[in-house]
Amino acid sequence: MRNTILFLLITSSLQGQPLVGPTPQQAGPARGESVGDYNLTNSFETGYRFYTVDGNGGMYRSNVNLRNGLRLLSGSFTANSKTGHGKYFDELVLNVQGLGTDPYQSSILRLQKNKIYRYDFIWRSSDYYNPALTISGGRHFLDTTRQLQDHDVTLFPQAKYRLFFGYSRNAQNGPGLSTTQYFDSRGDEFTLFANIHRLRNEYRLGGQADVLGLRINLLRGWENYSESQDQNLGAPSVGSNPNDRITLNSFRRTQPYQGSTPYWRLSLLRNVTKVFQANGLFSYSEGRRDFSLTESADGTNRFGASANRQILLSGTGTRPVATGNLTLSFLPTDNLTITNHSSFYNIRMSGDSTYRELNNGTANLALLSFQFLGIQTWSNQTDISYRFTKWVSAYGGYQYASRRIRSIQYQDIDPAKGLIPDEQNNRLNSGLFGLRFQPVKGLRFSVDGETGRTDHPIYPISDKNYHGLGGRAQWKTRKLTLSTSYKTNYNFNSTAITAFSSRGRNASFDAAWSPVTWFTLDGGYSKLHLNTLSGIAYFSSSQLVTGDRSAFISNIHALNLASRINIRKKVDLYLGFNRVNDTGDGRTNITQSAPGSLLNPSSSAAFVTAQTFPLAFTSPLARISIRIREKLRMNFGYQYYGYGEKFYSFQDYNAHTGYVSLTWAF
Amino acid sequence: MILGPPKLSLILPLLFVALVSGQEQTKPSSNGFAGNDVCRACHPAVWQNFYKNPHFKSVAAGNLPPDKNGCEGCHGPAQKHVDAKGGKSTILAFSVMPAKQVLDACLACHSKDISRHNIRRSSHTQADVACNSCHSIHKPVSSKSLLASKQSELCTSCHASVRAQFSMPFKHRVNEGAMQCSDCHNPHGAPAPTTSMSVRPRMMEHAQANEQSCIKCHADKRGPFAFEHAAVRVDGCETCHSPHGSMNAKLLRRPVVFTLCLECHNGAPGFGRSSQGIPTQSGSHNMADPRYQNCTTCHVRIHGSNADPLFLR
Repeated sequence: MRNTILFLLITSSLQGQPLVGPTPQQAGPARGESVGDYNLTNSFETGYRFYTVDGNGGMYRSNVNLRNGLRLLSGSFTANSKTGHGKYFDELVLNVQGLGTDPYQSSILRLQKNKIYRYDFIWRSSDYYNPALTISGGRHFLDTTRQLQDHDVTLFPQAKYRLFFGYSRNAQNGPGLSTTQYFDSRGDEFTLFANIHRLRNEYRLGGQADVLGLRINLLRGWENYSESQDQNLGAPSVGSNPNDRITLNSFRRTQPYQGSTPYWRLSLLRNVTKVFQANGLFSYSEGRRDFSLTESADGTNRFGASANRQILLSGTGTRPVATGNLTLSFLPTDNLTITNHSSFYNIRMSGDSTYRELNNGTANLALLSFQFLGIQTWSNQTDISYRFTKWVSAYGGYQYASRRIRSIQYQDIDPAKGLIPDEQNNRLNSGLFGLRFQPVKGLRFSVDGETGRTDHPIYPISDKNYHGLGGRAQWKTRKLTLSTSYKTNYNFNSTAITAFSSRGRNASFDAAWSPVTWFTLDGGYSKLHLNTLSGIAYFSSSQLVTGDRSAFISNIHALNLASRINIRKKVDLYLGFNRVNDTGDGRTNITQSAPGSLLNPSSSAAFVTAQTFPLAFTSPLARISIRIREKLRMNFGYQYYGYGEKFYSFQDYNAHTGYVSLTWAF
Repeated sequence: MILGPPKLSLILPLLFVALVSGQEQTKPSSNGFAGNDVCRACHPAVWQNFYKNPHFKSVAAGNLPPDKNGCEGCHGPAQKHVDAKGGKSTILAFSVMPAKQVLDACLACHSKDISRHNIRRSSHTQADVACNSCHSIHKPVSSKSLLASKQSELCTSCHASVRAQFSMPFKHRVNEGAMQCSDCHNPHGAPAPTTSMSVRPRMMEHAQANEQSCIKCHADKRGPFAFEHAAVRVDGCETCHSPHGSMNAKLLRRPVVFTLCLECHNGAPGFGRSSQGIPTQSGSHNMADPRYQNCTTCHVRIHGSNADPLFLR
């Protein structure tokens, strides 16, 4: 048995604030032991995680969601054949994280034998908690777990002819709350309990062949999806507005939904010559979902009269999609690269729905609804990159795209009127450029820009007349990295009676310093500014209001600091600090317009308060890892989370999380 | 002076190295190739764990020509390098090669992988971000993709504004390790996206054969629905959501939902499916009343519905 001494030096890296645990392996000796013809490495960290929360626990679960409990915080195991001729496998790599009760758990396995097979497996479990925030009146709630798994097997992975099989599963389950409005469009809103079951299965079968210099990759897939979400009232309710006379004594809705999406994907690639390459990617997918719904409710309507309603509904949606992509690359000299990419995208969505309504036992309404939406897009992009000298290079590109949208919508039993399709065409011309400059080794500058014009965007907020400009500078030595960047984006989309403009500006500065092997210091600051102004129209007290504006201003300052210290190769200390602060539009009071507000003086109070949403999210952490024995470490960590909104406090919280663990590694 | 075991253990490999080097130098192979044994004589630390490297397959195969085998498969013929007793100018040293040359060297073998069809036009290539900017062949953190560092650290070391977004209270769980950048993005370049006029962004991975990557996980938003919210299919999920992270719940672009809806649903002619404008809200709605400011309380199936064209159920 032989120990391989491998020093894992502390490296500096700029990263976002991680969770306090698991403990990343920073430094330490002795990785790998030999067993027969294999080298084995192993690392497992087991510990207890704890937390306390003051304030809004729901918001904490939405943002962080770490809970108490014992778990396998992280683990890895590898076995590698030293000769590449292992009996059953040549490589086995297993990584796990958070197994037990962590909200984010994963297992990743790779098993392969050279020339024979390769198997990749990924399993992930992610808790999703929506605490019924102020949006949707605080009644949309979810406490679900989504579990995903992917299996991929490749046979003969190094051969000219390969086969691959795959299976993926995505399941989401858990309780939730939804809402419905009864008994008519001026009715009241009622909260419904829902039990959510969503399941997606995907099966894949494909092959790859190298024939006469052409690589052909063909994949056939089948996706099946099903969802059931029975909803009920739970108990008689007076609804959200107790001042009206609408009540529900009972309510039940059943809505099964399922279907399949078989698809094909074909990839062709040919290196025609050393200077000319061509490849294509083509796909076609069908898609069909069948849906039925039954609903029954009884209570009192807004006039105080007894009412009951039954609804029977069934429908089908289909969506075939075809895509084609062709990329040509010319490399006439070592310094010049020319690429051309053409793409085609065609989607045809159509659906019908038959609706029958019985009120108080009497057939009241029968509707046949139909919609068609077709999108067809062609685009072509040409890019040229040229290196003038070893230190200066540039690129430029031109893009053209044309999109046609056809639409049919009707809701009646008389199709003649509605079957006349609407059509909308849009063309885009855009250009982009970039310049790279490296005056001395380690110092790099870059500038990028793009500008585009479309003649008929589909939405008032879509890109119409836009441009973006950005620059970056980086100075990198073995011990020090300094970088700064700036990027600005403008979009202006206007018609005769409304206008939308957006202006985004991002600036950042980062530094990473590792003067010695046992100490690093990283820091970064980013300023993200967004400013949008939109023309809006709405009804207020039955009067149509036009000419009003919606504005949104966000000024986000993000700071992160991190330091790692390794003491005598026995103790690893990590200190981190992260703060994201949106200072909003500078106002001090939610109901007052900020100085220089973009809103009309007569704007509704709702739009004044929605113009900005200042809040701060702070998260410092400290972690220490102590080597007790050669293969054993003990770890402690603490992380604080503070969420505070400037104008409200009911969603704020302060949370203290931490963990203690043991790591066994060789 | 008596040599103890530790010092002896250092000297014996050196002797072996000298012997091996000497043998190889006396028998230079044709075409300037020296062979892996010669390389490992001077670079034992690189060779020591090379069997864990995916490129070791070329050595284990045992039948590949020297220009596709082991060290010289990437670094080129090494005899000049050996004769010169080292030096970065006598061999293909990736640390000093221009980005395009690095790309050419790697694509000599990797160009036909389906995930690299668009690498020549990817934003990374245009920015002179070469393979070895992210991949470390000899000191990777993981053998799977030979990444030089954890994926999220690699990406955010340049994309600082994205790092800031992942630090916001509402975000996809990348820092937490629940997902990776490459779940949605293809850092080697991707075919045209199926939204936003098929132009931008350039690095989005397609889900299944041709869908937005979002639906890989959010399968319930995929449909098809009898009644689609056209915004989702035409301009994509980003019409309403900030996918990396947001200061607003549900990764929305606005703190409240009604401004998000009204900025499109303003009736301005020229927009929408029919160019007649995106319909304004019903006259029964009263924006002065807070109950009408929570659009999705009633329009619960806002991503698409099979039951109601107005997404009410």
